[in-house]
Amino acid sequence: MIPVIVTLAVVAVLVATLVSLYNRLVRGRGAVDNAWAQIDVQLKRRHDLVPNLVETVKGYAAHERATLEAVVTARSRAIGAQGPAEQAAAENMLSGALKSLFAVAEAHPALKASGNFAELQQELATTENRIAYSRQYYNDTVLTYNNAIQTVPANIVAGMTGFTPREYFRAPGEERGPVQVGF
Amino acid sequence: MAAAWTAAAAVTGLWLLLLLALAAATRNPDVEAGPATANLAPQSPAVVDLITGGWRLCDEAASATLLDLAARGVVGVEEIGPELSLVRTRGEPGGLRPYERLVYDHVRALAVDGVVATGALAEGSRDLGRWWKSFRRKVIAEAREQGLSRARWSRAHAALLTVAAALPAAAIGVAANISDKDHEAGIGAAVVSFAGLLALMGRLNGERGTAEGARAAAHWLGVRAHLGTTGRFAEQPAASVTIWGRHLAYAAALGLAPRAVTSLPVSTPADDSRAWSDYGGMWHVVDVRYPSRLLWGRPPGSVVVRVLAAGWFAGFFAWMLLVAASAFDVWPRGLVVPAALLAGLAVAGPPILFALSDLTGPVTVEGQIVRLRRFRDGGKGGDNARWTYWCAIDEGRAPEVRAREVRAMCLGGDMWEPLREGDRVRAEAGRRTGWIRRIEVIEGSRLRNAASYDDTGEHLVDAPENLGEVPVLPDPAPLRSTDQTRPYRHRRHE
Repeated sequence: MIPVIVTLAVVAVLVATLVSLYNRLVRGRGAVDNAWAQIDVQLKRRHDLVPNLVETVKGYAAHERATLEAVVTARSRAIGAQGPAEQAAAENMLSGALKSLFAVAEAHPALKASGNFAELQQELATTENRIAYSRQYYNDTVLTYNNAIQTVPANIVAGMTGFTPREYFRAPGEERGPVQVGF
Repeated sequence: MAAAWTAAAAVTGLWLLLLLALAAATRNPDVEAGPATANLAPQSPAVVDLITGGWRLCDEAASATLLDLAARGVVGVEEIGPELSLVRTRGEPGGLRPYERLVYDHVRALAVDGVVATGALAEGSRDLGRWWKSFRRKVIAEAREQGLSRARWSRAHAALLTVAAALPAAAIGVAANISDKDHEAGIGAAVVSFAGLLALMGRLNGERGTAEGARAAAHWLGVRAHLGTTGRFAEQPAASVTIWGRHLAYAAALGLAPRAVTSLPVSTPADDSRAWSDYGGMWHVVDVRYPSRLLWGRPPGSVVVRVLAAGWFAGFFAWMLLVAASAFDVWPRGLVVPAALLAGLAVAGPPILFALSDLTGPVTVEGQIVRLRRFRDGGKGGDNARWTYWCAIDEGRAPEVRAREVRAMCLGGDMWEPLREGDRVRAEAGRRTGWIRRIEVIEGSRLRNAASYDDTGEHLVDAPENLGEVPVLPDPAPLRSTDQTRPYRHRRHE
């Protein structure tokens, strides 16, 4: 009888531990998804601002076709990107294109003086700042989650139940250095 | 002689009775909560906090003020995640009240690119005690201007008590003279007792509500009853001010929104172990550890001496044990000395290697100071106290993540003194022993010259810290609410 009780007790402890670990991993995955949703909201906001910006610039500098097309293409790529790494690369490209667009504005005083343009520029800078913080928060959550699924004994539960590491939101080659915000 | 002292005691007793009678006569008015209402009267959340808190300002007043600024669009509060929200400044506001300006200036001083993390609101180089005092004075000044509050002692009260205090002081002086004719201690005793009585009088001074203030407080308690039943403010984060507007600010001032209040630590001291750093351009958390000083935070030379002593003791005790063991043939005699040496070496060897490595090859640490602390480390008080000086440097490693951990290192007091949190520094330090040999400031903290506040000359209000009730009397004016007790009010100075 005693061996049966001991065995049952050991099994009960084991099951409780597994359930606890599983729940912790689920919470971690939920936190990552939530953090990604925050980035997604801000990125969508950014993508929505770009067409207005392009239209405004067109009104003053329609001849800057190449720059405008580069922005539109970069936006399309950013909208269609899948996964954090690809998204980060596409967003970087969009940032580069936008910088060129703002450089164009420097050469057109009328555009620079436009209230609508200034407002959009300010709005974009604010959105960039929010993206930077959302990204920091997301990467922090991913770090916690990845550590959780790769450390013993949670890695056993993670392996059995299909938890896989998540990607950081960073483009290749930008592993170091903080995000610089501002146009 | 005894008669003289008896007379002095009697006169002093009479003066105390006068003081207590005046204190009882000037206690706060009773406030009955008015009917539940959604009508927000013109008082600001900070003033509401004062008049509904028994005319004592509570900690949440500063947070409620910030929420009010957010509701009015002066700043924005944005939630990035469950543990991260941002306060964003929006241009240069005009028409702020003096205490609102104080809160706004604090936010603006901390902001990087116009943004500060809510958790970082406790950071900064301000003297929190002075800041709070200034804030409090400004709120009280406004409450007095609106006729809601006044000082407990009027000029007549103060004059009466001061003049009356001269009598017991004189009586004590005479009694002291009679009992000690040789030293003529009478004048000294009179002066000291006069000062003591005036100090007691000052101690009992504070703010008290006017009839107008009591009516306003009753109205706001009615608002509180309404807010308590209409919104679940206790669970609302600070960012929900976007939805709730000024109602959340008033809920915070009325003690109904603890989550929002605690997430905006405007008037809270910075945590020793959890710092917010803006190194790299974005606010992030740095967990600061202060390791045990057994071998950490000491000059490498001192570590070598300590571990040599520890190794000698370990070897000696091992030798004694092994000698005893060998006497009972449990341990071979020939191995007693080698084993004892080995034990000593095992204890002293690794730390000595670490210390020597730090001594010969210190590393350069470059980053931003996030915590500067001085902890008592033995010795008696006053000039004999011994201190340990700690400095935690955020080196900005792993910039892609928010949470970082640094181990604070120690340094000499003379090097520690001129440093400020937020300074960018380059230090020569031993990573294994946690001792900073040399440190230089590369760039001073931007908070060193931050816009500060001026509480000198502005709103000179005679409002001592012990605002409110007379401690020696039973609580005469508890604020009564018809259906709720106040679940959450912080008192700073109790």
